[in-house]
Amino acid sequence: MADVLGAFEQAVLLAVVRLQADAYGRAILKDVQARLDRDVAPGAIHATLGRLERKKLLSSTLGSGTPVRAGRARRYYRLRPSAVHALNAARTAVDNVWSGIDWPLTKARNLS
Amino acid sequence: MTSDSSSALPPRWAESLLRALLPPEDRDSVSGDLLEEYRESMVPALGDKAQAWYVRQVTGYVLRHAWTWGALVGAILVARYSFDTLSPVQYTPGIISPRSAVMSYALMGTLALGAGWQALRSGHLRSGVLVAFAAASVGGVLSAAGTLACLAIWHDPETLRAIQGSGGLAEALWGVPLLLLPIGFVTGTIGAIAGWVANAVVHWVSRQDTKTV
Repeated sequence: MADVLGAFEQAVLLAVVRLQADAYGRAILKDVQARLDRDVAPGAIHATLGRLERKKLLSSTLGSGTPVRAGRARRYYRLRPSAVHALNAARTAVDNVWSGIDWPLTKARNLS
Repeated sequence: MTSDSSSALPPRWAESLLRALLPPEDRDSVSGDLLEEYRESMVPALGDKAQAWYVRQVTGYVLRHAWTWGALVGAILVARYSFDTLSPVQYTPGIISPRSAVMSYALMGTLALGAGWQALRSGHLRSGVLVAFAAASVGGVLSAAGTLACLAIWHDPETLRAIQGSGGLAEALWGVPLLLLPIGFVTGTIGAIAGWVANAVVHWVSRQDTKTV
């Protein structure tokens, strides 16, 4: 059975999908902040990346550093096949839950 | 981005704390991400206040590492408080009751274990002590909050007498949380030394294995 992903985990994994070869910590942070339209702490991203790697949904390799990071290596992330299954399952679950409901909900039709 | 921001430095002590906290395999990548965000986004947007942002982020990393141990410390204290309230015993001054002894050893063990685990993972003594100190602080806050919650549920005269008999409300609300700080420092130091030695032994053994291969 595929891992059940939380909304934040999905945002992080989808950032890795979007960024492809450029998926490292800060780039993922900027993508998640932009998509969720809110401030996200770098620590939350690093904790989630670590958790997803322990769950074997991501793999990572160290790349080279840049002067702005004082030469410190970037860690680049890639999706594992299990992450693709988990993301597809998460999307299917959301689609099923929303099936037959007009979106966006309107007050007049949907609320008493 | 200005040339100033691209070479701006966050507080040195905070950066050194962060690097000490991280396991070696994450040290460069995580501190590099934070430095890049600090220089490219925060300094241009916040100016001098970017340093406070950096300190807040490092505090977040410390709390994330200490949270589990702090929650355990808080749970031990609330459990003891609940026992004393719901099943009071007569305490004799100068004699340590079995209940007090169990709680004290559980607290010291938790803090030492937290420090040891952190020092083992990071290879840094001070990061173990820091985690134990932070866990003691978190545990103290949770214990005070738990005490207040218990008090909101049980506040009949009999319960209030039982609280008085076990040291009083002041001790539960700030006496014990404050006392936890030096306990966290001392037991954290002992645990961190053990974890640091274990880390050195693990590295020595793995080096010997590499040589043999």
